[in-house]
Amino acid sequence: MRTIVLALVVALAVGGSPPARAASDDHAGALAALADIHAAVGEIVRIEDGYAVGHGAYLRAAHRAMNALVGRRDDGYARSFGDPGDGVGALGHLDQILDKVGTSPWTPAVQGAKINVLAAAADLQDAFGEKEMEDYQTDLTRALANIALVVGRPSQDGVLGGLSGALATTALAAPAGARIVAACATAPSAPSYGVAAGRLAYVALPRSAAASAIPSGLNITRIAVRGDAVVLYTLAPRDTAALCGHGTRMQRTRATAVPNVQRTRSTASPASAVPYTAAQAHAGAPIYRQYCLQCHGADLQGSAGPAVAGKEFLTTAAGNKWTLSDMRTTVFENMPFNNPGSLSPGQYANVMAFLLASNCLPPSSTPFPTSSSPSLAKIKFAGLHATKPTNANLATCAVK
Amino acid sequence: MKRTMRALVGLAVLIGLITATGSLRTGAQSTWPDATAYANADQDASNWVLPARDYSGNRYISETDITPANVGTLKKAWSAPVDARGPLETSPIVWNGTMYVTSSHNDVYALDAATGALKWHFPYKPHVIAFSANRGVALLNGKVYEATLDGHLIALDATTGKVAWNIVAAHDVTNTFYTMQPVPYKNMLLLGASNGDWGGIGYISAFNAATGKRLWDFYTIPGPGQPGHNTWTGDSWKRGGGAIWSGIAIDPATSTLYVDAGNPQPDFLGTIRKGSNLYSNSMIALDISGATPKMKWYHQFIPHDTHDWDPAMPPVLFSGMVNGASRNLVAAGDKGGNFWVLDAKTGTLVYHLAVSTQKGQNTEPNRAGNIACPNTNGGVEFNGGSYMSDTNAFYVPSVDQCGVWKSQGTATYVSGQFYLGGAFPSLSGPSTGYMNAVDIGTGKFMWRKHLAFPQIGGALSMSSGVVFTGGVNGDFTAYDAKTGNVLWHFPTGMTIQAPPDTYVVGGKRYVAIAAGPAGVNFADPRFNKGAPTLEGSYKHPTAATITAFALP
Repeated sequence: MRTIVLALVVALAVGGSPPARAASDDHAGALAALADIHAAVGEIVRIEDGYAVGHGAYLRAAHRAMNALVGRRDDGYARSFGDPGDGVGALGHLDQILDKVGTSPWTPAVQGAKINVLAAAADLQDAFGEKEMEDYQTDLTRALANIALVVGRPSQDGVLGGLSGALATTALAAPAGARIVAACATAPSAPSYGVAAGRLAYVALPRSAAASAIPSGLNITRIAVRGDAVVLYTLAPRDTAALCGHGTRMQRTRATAVPNVQRTRSTASPASAVPYTAAQAHAGAPIYRQYCLQCHGADLQGSAGPAVAGKEFLTTAAGNKWTLSDMRTTVFENMPFNNPGSLSPGQYANVMAFLLASNCLPPSSTPFPTSSSPSLAKIKFAGLHATKPTNANLATCAVK
Repeated sequence: MKRTMRALVGLAVLIGLITATGSLRTGAQSTWPDATAYANADQDASNWVLPARDYSGNRYISETDITPANVGTLKKAWSAPVDARGPLETSPIVWNGTMYVTSSHNDVYALDAATGALKWHFPYKPHVIAFSANRGVALLNGKVYEATLDGHLIALDATTGKVAWNIVAAHDVTNTFYTMQPVPYKNMLLLGASNGDWGGIGYISAFNAATGKRLWDFYTIPGPGQPGHNTWTGDSWKRGGGAIWSGIAIDPATSTLYVDAGNPQPDFLGTIRKGSNLYSNSMIALDISGATPKMKWYHQFIPHDTHDWDPAMPPVLFSGMVNGASRNLVAAGDKGGNFWVLDAKTGTLVYHLAVSTQKGQNTEPNRAGNIACPNTNGGVEFNGGSYMSDTNAFYVPSVDQCGVWKSQGTATYVSGQFYLGGAFPSLSGPSTGYMNAVDIGTGKFMWRKHLAFPQIGGALSMSSGVVFTGGVNGDFTAYDAKTGNVLWHFPTGMTIQAPPDTYVVGGKRYVAIAAGPAGVNFADPRFNKGAPTLEGSYKHPTAATITAFALP
């Protein structure tokens, strides 16, 4: 969550607009709510990660988390325990957003976030009455689960997207004073936030600034360079077209196989092309190092887990007749082994791209999809044409 | 010629006596352990010839020099490095001054048990299909036996480490591998197949130890026409799970094999396998006196499990006092956080006790995800506990974790892949552990210690009143058996997932433990932050060692 908040602040700075801090600014309100949520999570995680065994320490953590969640205007606020948040509380900030006249594209997400804050507060209320350490832990765990829903994820909209989703998929992404343009009418120019029917279609950054700071809190589906602007698309072209063409109704479409129209370097024929881009593979390398390397090894030959590239992996994949869909299932749904499903779909797609590249399969113009795609089930891994390995011994390729 | 013959006969008689009494502390044995040595392993204070010392599965020793008064002075005697490409779970076999251990990738090492010096090393490169783990070797009649991650059973010359024979023992190597330590019994090797979670069905096999010839397989999931088959809907039994991951116990007097079958599959999707799903999550007692095994009884711990809560702890046979009367009992522990005590003859439940936080246990995982405790790596794990008659207490470590569980609408079998019908849960909330002492007389806790990290290392108890165990933060600890007070501890700097052993060489008693990387299950996110141990801080280890301790 800290990453999301920081990334957005960076995006604002890059966009050339000073971050607004006015109480009437919904964008700033959502960020402030997230900061309070972060403070509450910090209290809970600190006590659960620590080594305190006393009743008092848990009670104090639960009260401080409560204060950050509800704010000082709420009955649940207990001044004597101190407040790790800003005093307004996540609830206070969310109420300020919801108290506006009319419905915004982010209203459902914010309403859902408020209900989940209340649910987490109820869990903390339960914790106040507990006597046993295990009961505290159970209540705090439950509160964390509800808070996770408040935070949500940038790749989802509506209630399940939570505040992160609202900040990534709607015009709530734009701070007060930022330049908001209609994505339907004009070509992207930097700096600007392109919005269609309240939904964030793209963020355009000046090329010079974008080189040093690509925001990660957004759900970016494509990146394109247009003149002096680097355009981070957050909606698929079909979705943008649907929004522009049909008013406020948006058809949900899958983000699979979006042709990358900005790139013209594609040489692979569609029939033999492996769906991943060089940029994805490049982006997947650090993700692999952080989340996969410990079990699968720096050389991808496995340590606690099996090999994932080269001759050794090909033996497994060929013997089991695995398709790209089979591989995708394992990676997206069962990895990392000790915390499956913990990466974003974009991160998983990048890791898949990194693995395909490490197996010496050439990139194409089609990105590896972030959601399941029937076409992957038709591609047998062992049947793909690999290029010459950079490591002849292992039959793997270094990814740049 | 005649005189030589007589001398040989005399030697044979002497050897027979040594083996029969088995109590020499000098390591003067010149033969290899045989069926008699195994039968009398509980009387042998010097050696450690079976995974849990003897057939009871109880890591307990009645004779010891190490006491609560002097354990505080225990010092590292030696430390030997082994292959570190995965966690160490090996239970060392010690015979006549030589220790035999394995690494996670099936390398076998023969070490001088007094110095740690390498005698021989057998490197092996298995084709890993799942994760790497190995629980150790069997030693019988001059051969060392190992079952591997690619489904092989390999016999090595125990003196040289050279391969005597190597067979593919698993029936389907695309979804079956071995982690279990083979157990020698009457010139047979007993070996369970690890294939749960990958779409196989569990079985335990007996092999002729001399030739590797398969003698029998016992399947844990009943097929059409067999009793218990009606506890599965449709064809779900065909990939029903019930793998045999961990150790076994044997009562040689009644030729009874006690074995635990693992969780049903698909792990997290119960709707396509309605029913109790026998004999998953069950202890099974088999009469193995004949040509094929016959079931005496079974006891299912968690019917229709949807959380991968299999009885991971190897069974432990013991005679304990319950309500003032001595009873023959068998203990079990499962990943659902339960410690079970059954009547060893009938399998009827005496009592059970929750040793980890339990929550949401009766709700099946759904597509949105729900929280249940313990987590998939929680509860009582694969190295289990130890009963001490002197305190009438059972010592068992446990893991306290909760997880968010998700199922999918369907489960499709893909060869070589997980067959889960969902995803392994993600850890939610704290990740801690307990060291528990259960009063067998009452079925309540005698004491328990809440510890900052999961405890899966297995327990070793000594009648003098000391209990050893290790945590995933690398602390190897000796507890006072009566009070739970920490008497001694040693930070290995690595993760402990293996059980402790003890043996005597040259009149000196050693306690040995394997420690290594965290592996796939216990890579605690706190490690990279330099999380505290009892002494100092701890980070992800990249080394693996066997370490032996002794009094100065």
